[in-house]
Amino acid sequence: MPMKLIKNEDENVIRVERKLHAKHYALTLDKSWCKGCGICVELCPREAITLKPIVRPSEGRANPPEIDIDVEKCNYCGICTAICPFGALTLEIDGKTEIPVINSESFPKLVRDVRVDAERCKVGCVDCEEACPLGLIKVSVTTPEGEVVEDLESIEDKESLKVKVDIDLEHCPCCRICEYKCPEGAIQVRKIFHGTLKINHELCPDDCQACLDVCPIPNVLYKEDGKVYVDERFCVYCGACKIVCPVEGALELNRTWISHVPVKSGAWNRAVEKLASTEAMAKLLKMKALERAKSSVEKRLGRRL
Amino acid sequence: MDEEPRIGVFVCHCGLNIAGVIDVKAVTEYAKTLPNVVYAEHNPYTCADPGQESIKKAIKEYKLNRVVVAACSPRLHEPTFRRCVAEAGLNPYLLEMANIREHASWAHPSEPEKATEKAKELVKMAVAKARLLRPLEPFKVPVTKKALVIGGGIAGINAALDLAEMGFKVYLVEKKESIGGHMAQLDKTFPTLDCSICIEGPKMVEVARHPNIEIISFADILKVEGFVGNFKVKVRKNPRYVIEEKCTGCGECRNVCPIEYPNEWDEYMGVRKAISVPFDQAVPLVYTINRDYCIECYKCVEACGPREAINFDQQPEEIELEVGAIIVATGYDIYKPFDDPVYGYGKYDNVITSLEFERLILAAGPTGGKVVRASDGKRPRSVVIIQCVGSRDLKKHEWCSGFCCMYSLKHAIMLKEHYGEDIDVYILYMDMRTPFKGYEQFYRRAREMGVSFIRGKASEIVEDPETKNLYVRAEDVALGEPIEIEAELVILATAAVPAEGTEDLARILNLSRGSDGFFLESHPKLKPIDTPVDGIFLAGACQGPKDIPYSVSQGSGAAARAATILSKDEWLIEPIVAVVDPNKCRNVKVKCGICAQKCPYGAIKIEEGKPAQVVTAMCHGCGTCAAECPADAITQMHFTDAQIFAQIEAALEENPEEKILAFCCNWCSYAGSDLAGTSRFEYPPNVRIIRVMCSGRVDRDFVIDAFRKGAGMVLVAACHLPYDCHYISGNWRMKERMEALAKMLEKLGLTPDRFRVDYISAAEGLKFAELMKELTAKLMEIGKERIKAENQKLKPILDRMLARKGL
Ligand SMILES: Cc1cc2nc3c(=O)[nH]c(=O)nc-3n(C[C@H](O)[C@H](O)[C@H](O)COP(=O)(O)OP(=O)(O)OC[C@H]3O[C@@H](n4cnc5c(N)ncnc54)[C@H](O)[C@@H]3O)c2cc1C
Ligand code: SF4
Ligand code: SF4
Ligand code: SF4
Ligand code: SF4
Repeated sequence: MPMKLIKNEDENVIRVERKLHAKHYALTLDKSWCKGCGICVELCPREAITLKPIVRPSEGRANPPEIDIDVEKCNYCGICTAICPFGALTLEIDGKTEIPVINSESFPKLVRDVRVDAERCKVGCVDCEEACPLGLIKVSVTTPEGEVVEDLESIEDKESLKVKVDIDLEHCPCCRICEYKCPEGAIQVRKIFHGTLKINHELCPDDCQACLDVCPIPNVLYKEDGKVYVDERFCVYCGACKIVCPVEGALELNRTWISHVPVKSGAWNRAVEKLASTEAMAKLLKMKALERAKSSVEKRLGRRL
Repeated sequence: MDEEPRIGVFVCHCGLNIAGVIDVKAVTEYAKTLPNVVYAEHNPYTCADPGQESIKKAIKEYKLNRVVVAACSPRLHEPTFRRCVAEAGLNPYLLEMANIREHASWAHPSEPEKATEKAKELVKMAVAKARLLRPLEPFKVPVTKKALVIGGGIAGINAALDLAEMGFKVYLVEKKESIGGHMAQLDKTFPTLDCSICIEGPKMVEVARHPNIEIISFADILKVEGFVGNFKVKVRKNPRYVIEEKCTGCGECRNVCPIEYPNEWDEYMGVRKAISVPFDQAVPLVYTINRDYCIECYKCVEACGPREAINFDQQPEEIELEVGAIIVATGYDIYKPFDDPVYGYGKYDNVITSLEFERLILAAGPTGGKVVRASDGKRPRSVVIIQCVGSRDLKKHEWCSGFCCMYSLKHAIMLKEHYGEDIDVYILYMDMRTPFKGYEQFYRRAREMGVSFIRGKASEIVEDPETKNLYVRAEDVALGEPIEIEAELVILATAAVPAEGTEDLARILNLSRGSDGFFLESHPKLKPIDTPVDGIFLAGACQGPKDIPYSVSQGSGAAARAATILSKDEWLIEPIVAVVDPNKCRNVKVKCGICAQKCPYGAIKIEEGKPAQVVTAMCHGCGTCAAECPADAITQMHFTDAQIFAQIEAALEENPEEKILAFCCNWCSYAGSDLAGTSRFEYPPNVRIIRVMCSGRVDRDFVIDAFRKGAGMVLVAACHLPYDCHYISGNWRMKERMEALAKMLEKLGLTPDRFRVDYISAAEGLKFAELMKELTAKLMEIGKERIKAENQKLKPILDRMLARKGL
């Protein structure tokens, strides 16, 4: 059979496939997870992912940005899959979920460092579960034998019960809300992306709150006196806000650190170049003593860092 | 050489062939009366030793400086008599022949008197030309004793090996990463079913190891300049991003590379890594990075380590080669029937091409040799092979692709050998073509193994959406009724088409292509390997579909043809070439370059402000440029304007209005007129033929002059359109020129029937004779009086047209 490139899109998914007689590749975007941050757009080496034109409704909330995938261009490398902070993309090869760039250490796995000390959890507390803006946490209570307890009231000996906190890390952007909301200090989260987000109010058009409308994490952005402010404690630095912001420079996003397993890879160096601000990146690189990569950045910038 | 011409005329009896009809004594006596003729004699057999001796003796005795032999066709014995006069110390180009056998005695046996008169006039014409002959020296060009082979398929491999074995340095330029061509894609080969790469692999390695061969792979031919013995070739080596000298071919980089892309070598059925070789036996065994897919992770660099073979900064490199001969062996491509709705190719998962099947059944192929369906990965239990997909089809490709019948038999036999009773194999064919050694036996073997042969053409294939099985509908020619076969797999034997890039290469090399798009040979029978460009030869399927044995033989043939040049220190070029008079060329003052545009060989170089320049070694001497030049600045040696005008004058001195003056090209129409004589097809004796090398040489002024001198009729005869011209396109140039002239003459009051352009092949003696009868009848019909009246009216106008020539 000659090679076939197939693309399907509906309200839930975009799926591109490369079907060869002896091998099959598929990349699927789960639209419900995609927040339109555009990180994959930035990093795809084949420019196969693009942002759909941003629709700005004249009334009401701004629409979150959406992406599109070009079936003619996708390489099935899995970089997008590896980098998506919300785990919106899945790559399958011959029906098996796989990320080639991670297997070969050509690209790092993001570290989603969420630690739960369930020993500390109070039986009956579901604060984190309720706090997670993406609904990724499931708290359950088990008997010492490991049986899940459905009806707490029916159990006499509450002391012997254990609490189990399951977090769907695949989709977790590590915003830290759960950590803050936990009354027992049982959760510790380290962000994936570190950085700064600044809003230059003098540039914001009157009444604009597009960034606030699209931010996937509630309360990171909030409005006071007609202006949008940032609470950086929970910002995941995904950048969806920046994409919808209509004024160049009104929103300044600087990523300074990315939490990932260590790799030595040119592709990742370039990804870092794109994701992080140059100064911050230079520091990052220096710190990691990746002198080779640094000099490559310098070559690109045409100046010494 | 401006001494007074002293011409000797030698009239031949040719036994009774001439003397039986023509009064040779009278002709000899007549010859003596012609100006500058100082001696004439007649001989029984001029071409035999005594005849030749007699010519040599006369040259010495009478101090002859021109010789006219009135005998048979110059196409037959001109070389003999040239040698003869050269032996007597005369320049061989000071010889002219009058064709009184084919054109007189044999053509008009029942009118001996008229034949004798005609013979006299033919001698007169020859003497008129002889008076103006000039001595010419053949050109000598040095030969670079190296060869270029373009294309490393089995044909190119054999050509390169043969030349290298003869001791010549060979550059083998291959556009892909590896040599091997299609044969390296095949599993087994008919009719012996030996493994393809097992027999080709060692040859590929031999090429790589041979000290006389340099493989330049992953490279494109950019430019070819020069001529036989002296070609300059510009080649671009495309960057592999791997340094050839450093790569050990270990493949460690491939193992770490994360990226896979569809492998062309596997017909896009399997994949290869972004850094890889197309197949394991690749030659040269050098890895290549496909930067279209590579994500630049540099894992490969890490794996390569201290060998440091990978260089991401590699740039394309241009190199110049100097060679004496070129062999083109660029092969073919396979037609992919995406555009034909009948077969559902590209739509139905279980319809594949034969080349895909080769990759499927090959143990080293993408499925590890398992014949499985794309739809479900299962082995098919019934297979229909459909022949002539896109071949022998006027709507697609008119030609028979030659090897499909045989490879389909091979596929059927292999399926039967692998799966026996467990598989049904049908071949749907129109004609089964199995000539050549062992092929018919192979066909019988397939039949004996139980392959079902159905004569018919597929009309439709429909897919069962559930099972993905296919229903092949066809008309069974034997039964005369429609049939339907359910198949789990359909294999399409698709047409072989010219390789991608053939058009560009044709332009670069100045080669012509047939209507099928394949490269065109010089002559389909006698020069099947030569091209119209001296020093460039063809081998293998680039000239038309050919199987492996045929391609191999042609590779060796082309090597032998190239060696005829490379083995010489100097190459001689016939001096019948075009020469530009720089003082007359218009291009010095205004932009002209017409000659360069019209030259079929691109042998004329034009630079602004400079006179046109003929690259002598590229000039084939058709004379088209001489006829086209608006300033009469170009002379074709040995067929000069003055010589031809002298022939016209001599031909039309007496009773011009009764005569047909014919300009015939040497290779087709003149040969056709010879054949009319040889076949004794009688025709009226009123035609006078002037031989030119190519009809492209026939200047408008020749026709105008003929009418001015009162000719009853003028004929320009050429090789057939579109492809028969010996000089590629001289006949087309003549046609354009003469069509415009005909219109003008008609406007001036010439009866259109009096000027004729026709096409006569060397085989059409009968056509020539019939044409002469037809034209003579027309001439009679128009009548002498009307012709005379027309000519009288035309003459002053035509005189003015030729005034610039001082005629
Ligand atoms: C399905 C199938 C099965 C077959 N089975 C058999 C069989 O069993 N037995 C048999 O005898 N024959 C078989 N054939 C036919 C066989 O493939 C040909 O006879 C043979 O490959 C012709 O060799 P070639 O060298 O002329 O051309 P190719 O094999 O086409 O080689 C041409 C080479 O030139 C290179 N090239 C092309 N253009 C350029 C350029 N511009 N510059 C530089 N290089 C260039 C190409 O990359 C290639 O390497 C089969 C064909 C098909 C399609
Ligand atoms: S990286 Fe951002 S834009 Fe891309 S799929 Fe994930 S959430 Fe959507
Ligand atoms: S798999 Fe690779 S090539 Fe395909 S869209 Fe994702 S990042 Fe781009
Ligand atoms: S505010 Fe932070 S979390 Fe919200 S969209 Fe912007 S970067 Fe993402
Ligand atoms: S740099 Fe390119 S070729 Fe090398 S391993 Fe990475 S993807 Fe493969």
